[in-house]
Amino acid sequence: MTRFARRNGIRTLLYILGGLLLGGIIHIAVILLLPDFANRDAWTSLGRFGPDGAFHRLPMSEPGTEPLPYLDPQMAYAACRFSLDDGPIRIKATMPEDFWSIAVFNRRGSNVYSLNDRSAERADIDLVIATPVQMAQLRENPIAALDQSIVIEVPITRGFALIRSFVADPTLVGRAEALLGAASCSAELPSDDTPPAADPGEKP
Amino acid sequence: MRLLINLAIAIAVAVIVGFGSAALVLDRERLFGAVTRGAWTAWPDTGSPDADPYTAAMLARTGEVPLGAGEGLAFSAEADGAGARLSGSCTYRISGQTPPARLWTLTVYDADGHLMDNPAHRTAFHSREVLRHEDGSFTISVSRAAQPGNWLPVTTTEGIRLILRLYDTPLAGGARVGAVVMPALEKAGCP
Repeated sequence: MTRFARRNGIRTLLYILGGLLLGGIIHIAVILLLPDFANRDAWTSLGRFGPDGAFHRLPMSEPGTEPLPYLDPQMAYAACRFSLDDGPIRIKATMPEDFWSIAVFNRRGSNVYSLNDRSAERADIDLVIATPVQMAQLRENPIAALDQSIVIEVPITRGFALIRSFVADPTLVGRAEALLGAASCSAELPSDDTPPAADPGEKP
Repeated sequence: MRLLINLAIAIAVAVIVGFGSAALVLDRERLFGAVTRGAWTAWPDTGSPDADPYTAAMLARTGEVPLGAGEGLAFSAEADGAGARLSGSCTYRISGQTPPARLWTLTVYDADGHLMDNPAHRTAFHSREVLRHEDGSFTISVSRAAQPGNWLPVTTTEGIRLILRLYDTPLAGGARVGAVVMPALEKAGCP
């Protein structure tokens, strides 16, 4: 091999090495950016069930009609896509006696908060979701009507909440679906001077 | 000319390595944070705010909604206790006890992650309906053919995946999985 050819070979090798480095950068970029470009993610799928800012019941997971992949067929689900741009949102729902849980996800589908009926120590859901800034405002001007609410601070402005309600046997589906259908996910917080609204589902 | 060829080689290497490795990683099981007990694997970080970027990318691509740490923990199995891939044409027995949880469900999915329609209208068992032995342990048979006792039917001859979801369990939410004992998953025979 002539010196010229050898130098060319080394140069090609350097280019390949550069290509490998660039490949590593592409790998990291793809992984980090993929959630922002995905079109089959949970957020997009949930948009099919109705407008944002309200809970929508997902159909029970049955063969052929799974609303989202890998949902538990023993659970009834309701989901709400929300935005915190216009203020905190309040989730209220009366739940069955049996196991239920609620989880809050960010726009990209990663979990930011979750809670079950046992850790909530109550039979209904009354959850206020706020950004850190809104949380600071709530601390400064507490709203009396939210005394009993669980107020959580999440570092997101858009996301979705998913309620899971255990359905022990098919005869209970109707009740679970009725309760989930009545769940609310509203941006309207009660103002400080109005007394807390009576909750018909609340137990004495 | 030489420079152009070298540049083309470098770009081709970068594109193949970059996109290829990303696709490869996302198609395979998630790499990080897996906790394996016997045939069962769980990813406790999936449902927490500190999920790694690979998990976030995987969730966005599949559209799955993970169980939050405060809700429970899901264990999945694609191979039996001996390491052989689960196949719908074989019969499997899941027996023993589950880790502490207020409620658990065991669901079977086909290779594409879909529930299978079957005449028995059963896609899952939960902890309160499963028939138990006198000592509280249970045996669930996963098979195409009807089985005595707890029968979880499958209708495929391809791969299957089992998911055991533990709801309200002290295991969820971090590295507390420790020395939990999962039910055994054994092949009982292939016709």
